[in-house]
This record gives sequence, C-alpha cells and structure tokens, in this order.
Amino acid sequence: MDLATVAIAATPSFLASAVEFVEATTIVLAVGITRGWRAPLVGTALATLTLALIVATLGVALVTVVPEHLLLGIVGTLLLLFGLRWLRKAVLRFAGIVAVHDEEEIYRREVAELRAQGLRRNRWDWIGMIVAYKAVLLEGTEVAFIVIAFGAKGVGAMNAAILGAIAAGIIVIALASALRAPLTAVPENWMKFGVGAMLSSFGIFWFGEGVGAAWPGDAASIPVILGSFLLASWIAVRMLGGLLPQGARVEARNV
Amino acid sequence: MSSVFRAIWDNTYGLLVDDGQLAIGAILALALTWVIAHSGTDVLSENAGWVLLALVLALVLANLYRAGRNARRRAG
Repeated sequence: MDLATVAIAATPSFLASAVEFVEATTIVLAVGITRGWRAPLVGTALATLTLALIVATLGVALVTVVPEHLLLGIVGTLLLLFGLRWLRKAVLRFAGIVAVHDEEEIYRREVAELRAQGLRRNRWDWIGMIVAYKAVLLEGTEVAFIVIAFGAKGVGAMNAAILGAIAAGIIVIALASALRAPLTAVPENWMKFGVGAMLSSFGIFWFGEGVGAAWPGDAASIPVILGSFLLASWIAVRMLGGLLPQGARVEARNV
Repeated sequence: MSSVFRAIWDNTYGLLVDDGQLAIGAILALALTWVIAHSGTDVLSENAGWVLLALVLALVLANLYRAGRNARRRAG
C-alpha cells in the first residue's frame, strides 16, 4: 500500500468521520448522562455492528463484482453528489444564511427531551438504547458511505479508509469521555467545508477517469481541482455577502 | 414494512440530496460529460474531465446565487 493511496483514502475518511462522530457523541453523551450508560452503550455497539455489516457487504460487493470503469463512474457520481451537498451547506453557513450546527444547543435540547420521558430504574432502558442506536446509525451511515466510496479502489484503499474512520472515532470518543461534555470547540463547519470540497474533487476526478478522460499528471490534477472548488467557494461566500445586507443573519433552512 | 423501506429511501435520498436543483444539475453535468467523452472528438474526449469541472463550478455558483437571492427575499 503506497503513501498516496493511504493519504487519498484515509484523510477524507478521517475528517468526515470526525465530524459525524462529534454529532453522534453529543446524543450518546446526552443519553448516558441523563439515563445511565448501559443502554446507550449497547445501542452504540449495535449500531457500530450494523455499520460494519453495511461496509463489509456493500464494500466487498462493489470491489469484487462491478467492473473498474463502471465502479469509478458510480463512485465518482455518488462522491460528487455527497460532496456538493456538504460544500453548499458549509458555504451557506459561512454566509450566515443557514444556522451553524450548535452542539451545545443540540445537547441541551436532547437532555430536556430525555428527562421529560422519565426513567424506571428497575427496567431495561429501551428509549436510551434506541435513541443512541438511531443517532450512531444515522451519523454513521455517512461515514460508511465515505469509507465504501474511498475504499472502492481496492483492498489497500479500503483498509486505509476504515483505519481513518476508526482513528477519528477513537479520538472523538476519548475527548468526549475526558471532557464529559459536547465537543463544541471542534470547527465542524470548516471540516465539513474541507471534506465537501475534497469529496467533490475526487468525485470529478474519478468520474473523469471512469469515462476515459485524460488527467494531466494523473492524481497530480486533484490539487488543481480542489483549488478550483476552494476558489469558487470563496467567490460564492463573497457573492452571498454582497447579496445580503451587512450583518444580516437569515436562519432559513430551505433556501 | 413499507415504513422501513420509506425510512431507508428517505435516509439514502437525504444522504445525497440537500437541494434538488443542484443534484439534478450535477447529474445532467455528469451525463453531458459522458456524452462528450464517448461521442466527441479526441481533444474533447481527453478534456471531458475539465469540462465536467467547469460545468459543476458554474452550477455551484448559480445555485448559491439563487439561494442568496431567495434568502434576501425572505429577509424582506
């Protein structure tokens, strides 16, 4: 496994997973602190198992069954759609059009909801388990998707993508366990912006390879594509700043 | 059972699509790139990737411009 393969598969996987793990950890932490740790930890373990099964079945099927050119086309398409979604939302958040993801606020809301539902000490806490399971599965699906997409290039890439995701999970869980509070200091929007630009760039590069386009210098074209996305995003943030009145903060979700 | 499939569909759709117009635009750009790569001249086929990049960047800027205008209208 060469260094470029590791970097290409592990870096976006690590960054995207870190963002998703921060979001999932906020919910699991809220459940654990308000209702006890056994049920949410079981829910988290079950969700992790479900995600491992998804990665194992879909990942192996993609790598072994689908021909390489078709695989590049499919993975490129999915990465582009997924990346543009993150990039668009991050740019709108930078411009103040969409509210920034607030872990502290999500944590408070979740704690209030869980307390309102009550807890019977002598019974198994199904609510705590299901809330944790759903949160980890929902956020983890995006991680699984990214791992499968970046791992689709082969066994080495798959291992690197899985290792990137696991490393992010360990770091986020260790930090949350040490602090016992939501990780509000993580620059989520910057990370989502970076990952969105990276995924979109790889999407374009791999789709181009899939249809037989020639990239000068092969993978050396990726930084140029990434730079183009970063430049376009900077132009977009400036353009949106000009469109909206100075300092206006319009928290409209559907724009 | 149908609610399970519905939930799976909603999650999968939500994973890839935040704005329908951007997603449709991206798919059209990919389709156009495929056509260029397979039916164009050698020069066009070899540069199909750059064509896709230009199309997608224009699409992103146009989509965000529309989003900004909509937000300004909502802000009154």
